[in-house]
Amino acid sequence: MFYFISPSKIFKWIERVTDFINSIFFVVLIIGLTFALLISPPDYLQGDSVRIMYVHVPSAWISLASFTCIAFLSFLTFLLKLKNLNLISKSIAPIGLLFTFLAIATGSLWGKPTWGTWWVWDARLTSMVILLLFYVLYILSTKIFKDEDKANKVSGLIAIVGLINIPIIKYSVDWWSTLHQPQSINILSGSSSIHSSMLFPLMLMLLVLLLYCALIFLMKYKTEIIRIKRKNVKRL
Amino acid sequence: MIEKLVLMSGYGFFVWLSFAITLFACSIVYYRTYKTLKKYEKAFAKELKELSDSERKKVLENSKIANQVFASYNKSI
Repeated sequence: MFYFISPSKIFKWIERVTDFINSIFFVVLIIGLTFALLISPPDYLQGDSVRIMYVHVPSAWISLASFTCIAFLSFLTFLLKLKNLNLISKSIAPIGLLFTFLAIATGSLWGKPTWGTWWVWDARLTSMVILLLFYVLYILSTKIFKDEDKANKVSGLIAIVGLINIPIIKYSVDWWSTLHQPQSINILSGSSSIHSSMLFPLMLMLLVLLLYCALIFLMKYKTEIIRIKRKNVKRL
Repeated sequence: MIEKLVLMSGYGFFVWLSFAITLFACSIVYYRTYKTLKKYEKAFAKELKELSDSERKKVLENSKIANQVFASYNKSI
């Protein structure tokens, strides 16, 4: 199995997959934006401000999923000592940071018309800021230390410790009284209280952002592989 | 219809700004990631070019990654 996830095996597929995503991306983006901004109906309570959901919710999902992935891969790296898993984690981190920032920024923009305030230090919002800090710490730790082994150990530790924050974010709306609404979609059980006319655009926008994530991940992963190879160019 | 789309019953500022921030931030990250990749590819290909013929041949035979980067760099120039 590890043979198939070796960088040289994956490398030749990166260009093909990137080309494929590039060829469909703008079509999916335009369809997604059309549904999100034009076709989907306004909410009976929130009116058109509900359209912010189409960027806010997928961003939040991606930010949580990315950190969970990084923590899981870091744990595997400690266990199996596979450096490739570290490269994958490092390539996911900027995506997670970007989408955590977007979830917070778009959430704030959604908060003003619905709650009457841009920001409030409640459990969900605060735990998202903590997640953002964990991403910053993780990325800084991969850059600060000159010794790669030390950097990998410290960043891995940050990811594993930060994993504690993920269930806190997810269940914060149930555990504490917050301004943030409880979850309308449960990915784990597949249940949803959102009408299909809004659920479909939401899933389309999720697809758009996932395709974008794949593009960034592939480019970043390719960069990381080349960076490693460049260090040992004469020993290749 | 356009006015309705822009104003969105008074929520236009919040909705459009959310989408604009998302598109802008994603474009910046894409551009920076792409530029960094190209910079590394170029530097790697240049290093391969600076090797002696025999060394380069050996490296290109041993490493599929070096081979692909070198080939795509030569194609692009």
